[in-house]
Amino acid sequence: MTSAPATQDLALSARGVRMEYLDRGTRERFVAIESLDLDIKQGEFVTIVGPSGCGKSTFVKLVNGLLSASQGEILVRSVAKGKSDAMVFQDSALFPWYKIIDNVSYGLVCAGVSKKQAHERAMPLIKLVGLGGFENKYPYQLSGGMQQRANLARALCVDPAILLMDEPFAALDAQTREVMQAELLRIWRGAEAEGGARKTVLFITHQIEEAVFLSDRVVVMSARPGRIMEDIRIDLPRPRDLHVKRTPEFQEYQEQIWQLIASQLKAAASQFGGSKE
Amino acid sequence: MTVAAPAMTSRGPERSRRRIKIPNERLFYAVLGFVGLLVVWEFASNFDLDPSTPGVQGLVKRILMSAPTLIWKAGVEDFSSGAIWPHITISLQEWFYGFIISCFLGISLGLSLGWFRRFRLATQPLVSALYSTPTIALFPLIVLIAGIGLESKVILVVLASIFAVIINTMVGVQSVSWKHLEIASSFGASQTQIVRSVVLPTTIPFILTGVRLAAGRSLVGVVVAEFQAANQGVGFYIALNGQTLNTARVFIGLVLLGGFGIFVGELVRLVENRFDAWRPSIHR
Ligand SMILES: Nc1ncnc2c1ncn2[C@@H]1O[C@H](COP(=O)(O)OP(=O)(O)OP(=O)(O)O)[C@@H](O)[C@H]1O
Ligand SMILES: [Mg+2]
Repeated sequence: MTSAPATQDLALSARGVRMEYLDRGTRERFVAIESLDLDIKQGEFVTIVGPSGCGKSTFVKLVNGLLSASQGEILVRSVAKGKSDAMVFQDSALFPWYKIIDNVSYGLVCAGVSKKQAHERAMPLIKLVGLGGFENKYPYQLSGGMQQRANLARALCVDPAILLMDEPFAALDAQTREVMQAELLRIWRGAEAEGGARKTVLFITHQIEEAVFLSDRVVVMSARPGRIMEDIRIDLPRPRDLHVKRTPEFQEYQEQIWQLIASQLKAAASQFGGSKE
Repeated sequence: MTVAAPAMTSRGPERSRRRIKIPNERLFYAVLGFVGLLVVWEFASNFDLDPSTPGVQGLVKRILMSAPTLIWKAGVEDFSSGAIWPHITISLQEWFYGFIISCFLGISLGLSLGWFRRFRLATQPLVSALYSTPTIALFPLIVLIAGIGLESKVILVVLASIFAVIINTMVGVQSVSWKHLEIASSFGASQTQIVRSVVLPTTIPFILTGVRLAAGRSLVGVVVAEFQAANQGVGFYIALNGQTLNTARVFIGLVLLGGFGIFVGELVRLVENRFDAWRPSIHR
């Protein structure tokens, strides 16, 4: 959590991160991430893509502190106010027994803020994600897309310097997903307009189109054990709307990333085929 | 040209609008069913196949099955003379102490057994063995240790009901979603906060199921204990009047137990409703 002078404007810096899972039964070590280096500047929107099982979720949990790395170090910029990072989980990650307002203010209550104050601070975020009027509903009374908005609001509520999003839209249908992508960019800008510094976002997805549309940088990971294969800057003008997806530049980025992942999938396939000893 | 319209069923609100509104449906149907049963019973016990021996050759034998009017008469007698009150109060006492101890001890034991794996492993065989032992088999031992007073009855009631609470609570804790725990720790929840915000909300429906079962089982415990060794209590009242072929009074005892069962069931239901707001309702 310290920041060297050279890393002044970095929100996150990962150096030589290695992650091994220990199997409790067999005592075998399973290498999920080999050696990973990644720098993310403050306010940057970075997306990680890569074949299934390459260690993307593992990396996000390492950043969040849910896991600790076997080797290497991850520096997350500490902040004076709010939390340094917060996670937006996949679908149905709300507590079904809490009303939306209690779900959204959960992080604040955990941090010791009184319930009344936490509710007051949660309301603007509920409105920001377009759920005004639903704060006293239970999650089952909301659609999948609305639940994900609440999920996002819960993470934003602790005012994190870096927002971690692990496939947040994976369970949504294609249309809702597109709406949510545009909404996410709007909220990202909106949070900035409200006086806060622009949030850094670390996003994970399997959809290349989504990655290109949202990001400043797309990081492609290799098949397991995960390493970073390619780091692609997306130079599309902001603010972006869904029309940008029809431009030739957009399609070129998509093609480039697709090629990289396809090569990894092939490598993974031959690895599985040849792994019988 | 006339084409037969395809048969269609209306699923709109019209259907329900035509139904008669009954203010308290639950109560209405419960009373209707009960009164119906009484009427049929009374009629059957007064319907003599052989009029020369009334009550002996009836559709139902009055000497064995009594009749609602006879039960009512006997009930009025015993209540106005006050003879039945000591039986009721002593049974209530035995039940209340046993049930409360079962709930508190059962919930705390169940929570710890669910949460602490080593504790669970160490006690699982004992719990399983005790759970499957018919409680009555332990009664002679209990009487030797605690005598035939209130204590031995309460112990039996606890043994009869506590395992339902322990095991349900334990299963509840074990069914806590790993994902919810992860979310809680991701937001920096402390152990106490995790228990309050995740473990308890997940476990409460299980606890209430255990408590509901325990309410019934503890009542069984009361009656079983009073059958075995007692000179007071509703169970004793039933056993005594059964031996003397006083069937109307046997039924008074049964009615008392039944009414008590309903009362306790409703009480648990009230508590359940309090905790159920977050779940979609199956009905309505
Ligand atoms: N708790 C765990 N214990 C042991 N191995 C694990 C654990 N979690 C993940 N793994 C392994 O680590 C590897 C990386 O998992 P991870 O969930 O990070 O992949 P991912 O890139 O997020 O995949 P996906 O795109 O399918 O979500 C996988 O091969 C998985 O089998
Ligand atoms: Mg994953």
